Amino acid sequence: MRLLIIEDDSLLLRSLAASLREENYAVDTASDGEDGLFKATSFDYDCIILDGMLPVFDGWELLARLRNTKITPVLMLTARDALPDRVRGLDNGADDYLTKPFDTEELLARIRALIRRSAGQASNLIQIGDALIDTAARTVSLRGESILLTPREYALVEYLARHLGTVVSRSELYEHLFDEDDDTLSNLLDVHVSNVRKKLGADFISTRRGHGYTIEPST
Amino acid sequence: MVVIALLCTLAHRLAADDKRERIDRELTAFERAFTRQVWELSNKRRSDGKPPPPDRMREVMQSLDANSELPLEMRDLFDPSAVDSTYLAFWDNHGRLLFQSANAPKDLTLPKPPPQDQEYSLRLYESRRELVHIGPRGFRSLVGRDISADKAALRSLALQITGCGALLWLLGLIGGWWLAGRVIRPIDVISQTATRIAGGNVSERIDVAKTDDELSRLSHVLNDTFDRLESAIKRQQQFTADASHELRTPLTVILSETSRGLKRERSADEYRDILTTCSLAGIRMRSLVESLLILARQEGDGQSQPSHGSCSLLQIITETLLLLRPLADEKETRISSDLHEVNCQGDSRALSMVAMNLISNAIDHQQTHGEVMIRLRSEEGHAILEVSDKGPGIAEKHLPHLFDRFYRVDPSRQSNGGHSGLGLAIVKAIVTNHGGSIQVESQPGAGSVFRVILPLDEAHLS
Repeated sequence: MRLLIIEDDSLLLRSLAASLREENYAVDTASDGEDGLFKATSFDYDCIILDGMLPVFDGWELLARLRNTKITPVLMLTARDALPDRVRGLDNGADDYLTKPFDTEELLARIRALIRRSAGQASNLIQIGDALIDTAARTVSLRGESILLTPREYALVEYLARHLGTVVSRSELYEHLFDEDDDTLSNLLDVHVSNVRKKLGADFISTRRGHGYTIEPST
Repeated sequence: MVVIALLCTLAHRLAADDKRERIDRELTAFERAFTRQVWELSNKRRSDGKPPPPDRMREVMQSLDANSELPLEMRDLFDPSAVDSTYLAFWDNHGRLLFQSANAPKDLTLPKPPPQDQEYSLRLYESRRELVHIGPRGFRSLVGRDISADKAALRSLALQITGCGALLWLLGLIGGWWLAGRVIRPIDVISQTATRIAGGNVSERIDVAKTDDELSRLSHVLNDTFDRLESAIKRQQQFTADASHELRTPLTVILSETSRGLKRERSADEYRDILTTCSLAGIRMRSLVESLLILARQEGDGQSQPSHGSCSLLQIITETLLLLRPLADEKETRISSDLHEVNCQGDSRALSMVAMNLISNAIDHQQTHGEVMIRLRSEEGHAILEVSDKGPGIAEKHLPHLFDRFYRVDPSRQSNGGHSGLGLAIVKAIVTNHGGSIQVESQPGAGSVFRVILPLDEAHLS
C-alpha cells in the first residue's frame, strides 16, 4: 500500500513517514499544498494523509481541487478541531478527520479502515482458501499456523488480497509497494512472488501472462 | 405628615379665634346699641345730651315691649322663639332685674361683676357666649348668644381641614412613592445589567439612554469597566486558543515518536534519533510558550510595566549587534550601521527584544553573504530606527498581515528555525505600548525596510 503524507511541519512529517514505513507502507511526502496536489493527482495512492494548515494553499483547498479528479481516500489531520472546520473538511471530500495531537495507533487503524472500505471489504480479516490474512496484525496464517513473511512479501500479499479477483499489473504492483525513496529494481517483484508461492502454495498467486498477477477469491 | 397636622391645627385655631372675636364684638356692639336706644328713649323729652337719670332708665327698661321704638335687629328680643338670636338682660345697681329679653334662656341669673377695673367680661356658659357689662352706675347687663350653630360650623370646618390634610398626606405618599420608583428604576436597570454581564454575557453594556442624568455618569464608568473586563477576557481566550493550537503539532511529534520508539526494540542510534526529535519539538514548544507569554503581557493592560526608565537606543542596538555577531558571522552577513545618540522612555528589556527580533529576522531572511543596514536617528521629537535588508522582499499582499500572530509568508521557513511566528506580533505590541508605531516597506526582489518610530525622551532633549 502506498500512502501520501502532506504535512508542513518537518519534524512531524519525518515522524509520521517513519511510523508508517515501519507499518509496511510505502510513503511519499509533500510539505505544501501545491506539491501535495501535484503528487496526489499524479498517482492513485491507497490513502492520503492531509494536514489542514499548509503553505501556498491549505488542505481544504487542496481537497476541493483533488476531488475534481481523484477518489483516493483522504484522512485529514489538523490542529483545527472546531466543528465548522471538521464539517467543512468532511463535506469537501475528506473521508475521515483526526485532530492533533492524536495517538499513532488510532491513525494507523483509521488508515486501515479507509483502505479496507475503498477495497469494498468489510473486515480486516481476509480468508482465501486455507489462508487467513489479518491486515491489522499484518500476519498470514495457513490452516491456523502462522506463516512468516518478510515485510515486502506481506505487502505484496495484502495488496493482491485487497484487490481480490482483479488482475494487478506488474507496474501497478511496483508503484504501490515501493515509494519514491525506494530505488529497488523492479525484477525483485518476481522474487517476492515466487517466495510467497513457496510459503503459501503455488496456486496462491496466479500469473496472467502479459497482464499481471492476481489472487482468486475462494469459492 | 407632622407639618400637615400642624398646619391644619393652626388653620383651625385661627378660624376659631377669628369667630370668637367676631361674636364678642357683635355682643359688645349689641349691648352698646341697646344701651344707646334706652338712653334715647329715656332722653326723649330732653335734648341736653346728658345721660338720663337712673330712675328714668329703670322706667324705660321695665316698660320695653315689642311695640317700643327699637331698631329691627332688636325685635328678636321680644320673640320668645328666637332662641338663636342675641338675648339680653339688665339689672340695676341693686341687682333688681330691669329687663330680660323674651328669647333669653330661662336659667339666667344675676352675673358676677367683671373683675376689678374691667368693664366687660366674657364667659362661655355651656353653648352660650355671654358678655357681662357693668355700667358707670352699677347697672349690669348680660348679652349672650347661643353659639351651637357656630360651634357646628367650626366642627365642620375642622373636618374639612382634616379631610384636606389627609388627602394632601395621601397625595404626598403616592407622589413620594412614584418619585422613589422613578429614581430606583434606573438603578435597578444598572444592577440587572451588571448582574447579566457578570453572569457571562460579557459584551452587554448599560443602556445609558435609559438612565437619567445623575446616573449616566455612573453608567459610563461601569461601561468602561466592562469594556476592560471584556477585553481582558478576550485576550485570555485568545492566548489559550493560540497556545493550544500552536502546541498541538509539536505535541503530536512527541507522541508519534515516543509511541513509535516503544513499539519494538531499537538500536541505540535509533533511540538517539527519536530522542533528538522529541527534544527539538520540546524546544519549539518552550519558545512558543515564552513568546506567547511575552505577547500576552505586552498586550495586557499595562499593569506589568517594569523598569520604566530612560533607555539609550544606541546602547541597546550596540548590545544587540554584539549578541547577533555569531549568527551574522555564520551566514557571512555584512552588517552596517549608522547610529546616533537617541533616548526613549521605556522598558529597556522590551526594546532590546524589538531590536533583536528585527535584526535577527533580517539576517535569517537572507542566504549567505547578505546585507543588513541599521539606521538610528532622531527627527522632530521622534526616534527612528530602520532595519533594512537585501533579502527576497515581501509581496504587497502580505504586508498588511505581517504583524498578525502566526502569519507566515515564506512556506519553507515555517516553524523550523525556532521561529514561532510571533516575532513581529511581539515587536508591534511592544512598540505600540511605548507610544510608537512600526512600518514596513518591501518589494519582492528588492529587500525590505522595517521602520520603528518612538517618542523621544523629553528629559534628555535638554
